[in-house]
Amino acid sequence: MNQKHQITRAAEYQSLATLRDFIEATCKGYPGVDDQVLYDLKLAVDEACTNIITHGYAGMNPGSIILAIDLSPQQVTMTITDFGQAFEPSETPMPNVEAGLEDRDTGGFGLFFIYQTMDEVDYECTEDGNHLTLIKRL
Amino acid sequence: MEINVRLEKQLAIVAITGSVDALTSGEVTNFLSQQIEEGKKRVIVDLSQVDFMSSAGLRAILTALKASRQQGGDLSLAGAQPGVEKILKMSGFTNILKAYVTVKEAIADLGA
Repeated sequence: MNQKHQITRAAEYQSLATLRDFIEATCKGYPGVDDQVLYDLKLAVDEACTNIITHGYAGMNPGSIILAIDLSPQQVTMTITDFGQAFEPSETPMPNVEAGLEDRDTGGFGLFFIYQTMDEVDYECTEDGNHLTLIKRL
Repeated sequence: MEINVRLEKQLAIVAITGSVDALTSGEVTNFLSQQIEEGKKRVIVDLSQVDFMSSAGLRAILTALKASRQQGGDLSLAGAQPGVEKILKMSGFTNILKAYVTVKEAIADLGA
């Protein structure tokens, strides 16, 4: 049977630890979720929410971030909803992880980590907000 | 998050405890740049008590790494736990700096 959980927090950096703690409290101990999977889930949500706070709500009054988690024996589905400006993840350039120190840019790893750790990433912008769906198979 | 520094064998060993994310990474950047400005340009960052690090933490490390090398020093990492170790590998950081399993090992290799 699926387990569904949801939390809403203000779109500010102080909320990041709360969102990670919520993932830990919700997913730790669930069959198939080991420490590495748990880290991947926390990392992907942290990076996505950091982008929303830094870019999505840039120049706007900080709104909210809703994180919904759906646990099933096959996969963990995490949906992040925000009401800021839309962004298209697939249009964002990926960093060059082979680059030497001199050629290294200090940014761009957030989205890269999301794609590296999740099995499916889907983004949808609707009248009800922006919905980023992150799926990790177990 | 907490940051402390101690000196051993002419190395500044910077120990971070807690999580390094977009909220706390600025503090890491400032702390490391202060050490380097004070002439402590050979730095080992002890990550053994870091339970979570995001790309914001990597950015802080990269900034400090560049600053230390510009001053003729270097910055190495030690003690990364499995989750943090994975992001260091994924991002290719382990190709541009030294990462030791323990601080003890780092000091033995780098200490004067």
